[in-house]
Amino acid sequence: MPHSTSAPRLGDLERVVMEHLWEASATGGPGFEGATVREVHDRFEGEREIAYTTVMTVLDRLAKKDLVTRERDGRAWRYLPADTREALTAQTMLRTLDDMDVTDRRTALLHFLDGATTDELADIKAALAEIEARAEGEGAPATRSGKRGIIRRR
Amino acid sequence: MIPFLLAGLAVLLAWVAPGLMARQKDFRRAPRSALVAWQAVSVGGILAALAAAPAAVPLLVADDDPAEHLELVLPAVLVSTAILVRLLYAGHHEGTRLRRVRAEHRQLVDIIATHEDRTRILQHPTPTAYCIPGRQSRLVLSQGVLDALPPDQLDAVVAHEEAHLHGRHDLLLEFFSVVHRAVPGPLRSPEAVGEVRLLVEALADRAAVRRSGEVATARALMTLAGSRAPEAALGVGTTAPVRLRLLADGPPHPVLSVIAYSYAALAATLPLLLLGLAWA
Repeated sequence: MPHSTSAPRLGDLERVVMEHLWEASATGGPGFEGATVREVHDRFEGEREIAYTTVMTVLDRLAKKDLVTRERDGRAWRYLPADTREALTAQTMLRTLDDMDVTDRRTALLHFLDGATTDELADIKAALAEIEARAEGEGAPATRSGKRGIIRRR
Repeated sequence: MIPFLLAGLAVLLAWVAPGLMARQKDFRRAPRSALVAWQAVSVGGILAALAAAPAAVPLLVADDDPAEHLELVLPAVLVSTAILVRLLYAGHHEGTRLRRVRAEHRQLVDIIATHEDRTRILQHPTPTAYCIPGRQSRLVLSQGVLDALPPDQLDAVVAHEEAHLHGRHDLLLEFFSVVHRAVPGPLRSPEAVGEVRLLVEALADRAAVRRSGEVATARALMTLAGSRAPEAALGVGTTAPVRLRLLADGPPHPVLSVIAYSYAALAATLPLLLLGLAWA
């Protein structure tokens, strides 16, 4: 799709701009000193129609979220990703799993389960054994096939 | 007299009832009705507290000398106003904080995770699965959980999270969180908050069982229980053992739900009854 005529959502743009920066950083190697607004805007050429000022706004927002750092280069700013996607993901994982006050986290985000204490593991194993034994005893299949898997990703 | 009773009922429902209810662990096997009971007790407590002032009005109006009743009326009005103000403040404070935290996290996940339809996949080997509730909800899985769980267990996990989102359990938890903060410190019961969270998880587990069965749900819990180092906070257990136990015990006797719903009806209507009596 060469041009997007619908008004792009900012969140979507933040992701695309971030990906451009990661790519630029990867191809640029250790000597990468960041990209200017102009350079980032140019990367959209042929991909989608986007205003220069929009790119500037997006980079500004990313900087405020600490996803991007910037340095002055003469009269222009050069933008760099704060870290690689892997490092940012690892940080996010740590933050959601550990950092927040436990009660806070359990209200803000709803986890399926994240770990158990070593004391609890014994009880859990025992209960699971009961459930499996009962299922086998009833002759029910151990796994219930039915609807197609919701997520397929390999 | 009745304004006094209402204020007393408010204290009873806020302070005594939660502690007693949290000890009735059998009701965990009927999580939906138990949650209704918890809500009714909270709502009943609020109604009782707020009704104290209106219940005092007939006393003022009926007599020639309203000043006679001042020692009953004044405390009632003060209790009502104080609780209303605290509720509104706590509601606003907690509501905005929760929404801000969720929005920030959602924006971050939208950027760094890969998108698969409406699901976000964090490229990380540690298994985790959670949802970001709210009007712009997200289901977040890690690559680790996709790799660790076979399809039926993964379906169970997704069904569990979707139950949270469709059931708007976030609003329920927010309500309890707000009430908990609005109740004066010494009167709070932390067991209540923990119990409600557990019930919400048990309810979502029901959806997982409907999708994939008890075995798959239990195995998924087992896998995620062992997926990382135990919680750093001392003395803070997880919901895992109770949830596994509930899966092992199976559905309860129907009478439990009947009891829970009846109790809920009583807790919610008693303040209104008293208010009606005051005006009769």
